[in-house]
Amino acid sequence: MVGFAIIGVLLLIAGISVVVARQPVYSALALVGVTLGLAMIYLMLSADFLAVAQVIVYAGAIMVLFLFVVTLLTAGKEDKEPADTLAGQRWAGALFGLLVGGALAVDAVLHPAPKIAAPVVPGFGGLHAVGEALWGPAFVMLAGVALLLLTAVLGVLMLNHPEAAEKIAGHRRTTPPGVTVSPAEGEDGA
Amino acid sequence: MILQIAILVVKILLLVGILLGGFAYLSLVERRLLGFFQLRLGPNRVGPEGLLQPIADAIKMMLKEDLMPLGADPWVFRMAPVIAGFAALSVDAVIPFGAPIHLFGQTITLDIANPDIGLLIAFALSSLGVYGLVLGGWASQNKYSLLGGIRATAQIISYELAMGLSVMGVLLMAHTANLEGIVLAQRAHGWFWLPQILPFLIYTTTAIAETNRTPFDLPEAESELVAGYHTEYSGMRFALFYVAEYINVITQCGLIVTLFFGGWLGPSFLPPIIWYFIKVGIGVFVFIWIRATLPRFRYDKLMSFGWKVLLPAAFVYFLGTAAFVSGVL
Repeated sequence: MVGFAIIGVLLLIAGISVVVARQPVYSALALVGVTLGLAMIYLMLSADFLAVAQVIVYAGAIMVLFLFVVTLLTAGKEDKEPADTLAGQRWAGALFGLLVGGALAVDAVLHPAPKIAAPVVPGFGGLHAVGEALWGPAFVMLAGVALLLLTAVLGVLMLNHPEAAEKIAGHRRTTPPGVTVSPAEGEDGA
Repeated sequence: MILQIAILVVKILLLVGILLGGFAYLSLVERRLLGFFQLRLGPNRVGPEGLLQPIADAIKMMLKEDLMPLGADPWVFRMAPVIAGFAALSVDAVIPFGAPIHLFGQTITLDIANPDIGLLIAFALSSLGVYGLVLGGWASQNKYSLLGGIRATAQIISYELAMGLSVMGVLLMAHTANLEGIVLAQRAHGWFWLPQILPFLIYTTTAIAETNRTPFDLPEAESELVAGYHTEYSGMRFALFYVAEYINVITQCGLIVTLFFGGWLGPSFLPPIIWYFIKVGIGVFVFIWIRATLPRFRYDKLMSFGWKVLLPAAFVYFLGTAAFVSGVL
């Protein structure tokens, strides 16, 4: 319980500094702190595989890519407070956020979920339990999500890389014979 | 209970001592070997055969002025080498470097921790090391440093995938992710480098890339980026980046030995821990040999090699191993 309290406080500090920090790199670092703290909480719940997966996937890969982009964006730039375009939006946002949080808390107290009281399966969050959950009954869902993500990646490729898109589409948008148009030439002409 | 904690503390201190001492003399061995590879002598003036050179280097590093660029981000600038050093040192906690020994009526396992998912923990901790590089490059506010940090990010993320896939076959064959279990499985089924020859080669290649050594030293390519991510570092902070790099080399050799060459297994005329150190020493020598032999990759070649050759090859071999282990083939 003491450990949970310490990690909880650290997590809250890290989470708040993600939002508050003016320097985007600090925000990203605080987010790394959040993922590491979450991994600690998984460890305390003896879900060791989830904890390690959290570190490998989020801290080791996704947040590194975040930092990759953020360091490129902010190299040598001043970090100034952006102008508040909508008057009082922060206070309004804070107020509504508190209201939503309060409503959720009241609802949780009035209607506690009965299933939370049930104990989890033994070995929950370990290597074998996660493996059996993913490759057992939930495999169709896993494959579905994988397909969905693959589609999303291909979509980004199509949107950002017109030449590759044309190649994939099998040269459907062929240019008339004798006319060669490449994006660079088009820009030069304009 | 107190005895257990005392043993643990002694083991941790010993491991850190061995790793730091290993770093100091690895730097000397590498410089001398590079010298021999290039038909020159290398540092041989400080002490007999240059054996006191690491001490001279350490004193020099500690006495040097600790510089920080005016525009640098002081907090991140100071944190970056610490992160790199921490990630490098912590990985070794889960690698078993010898068979359990019996001392004072206690059975002492020669590793700091022996978790069920030791291999995954090693990967998780080593994947944090890239933060030191990218943050050091960013915090220096120097374009060469930034380029080095960004190269390090892209390179390590790309090669980590092939690295992870290449050890999947070992996991499948050993039926466990526990590193001691993997060593013991190799006692039963023979060392894994032969059945997993392609993953072994892929793992070694990616290990060199992960430790940013030639031919994959683009993050610190001195002919293009001055010194890459640690251009602005001096004194002990610079030394910490070096410590991290060399300890990463030792760690990666330890992992290669554990995964593919039977860890501390060996004929019984030498104790297991000696076998482990001999194998790691051979691995480190091969790392230095490769550094002395191969020129640096071009950046686009590096990326296409990682994504279009190593990753598909590792994946296909992994699928083949899975089919074989499960009895489909």
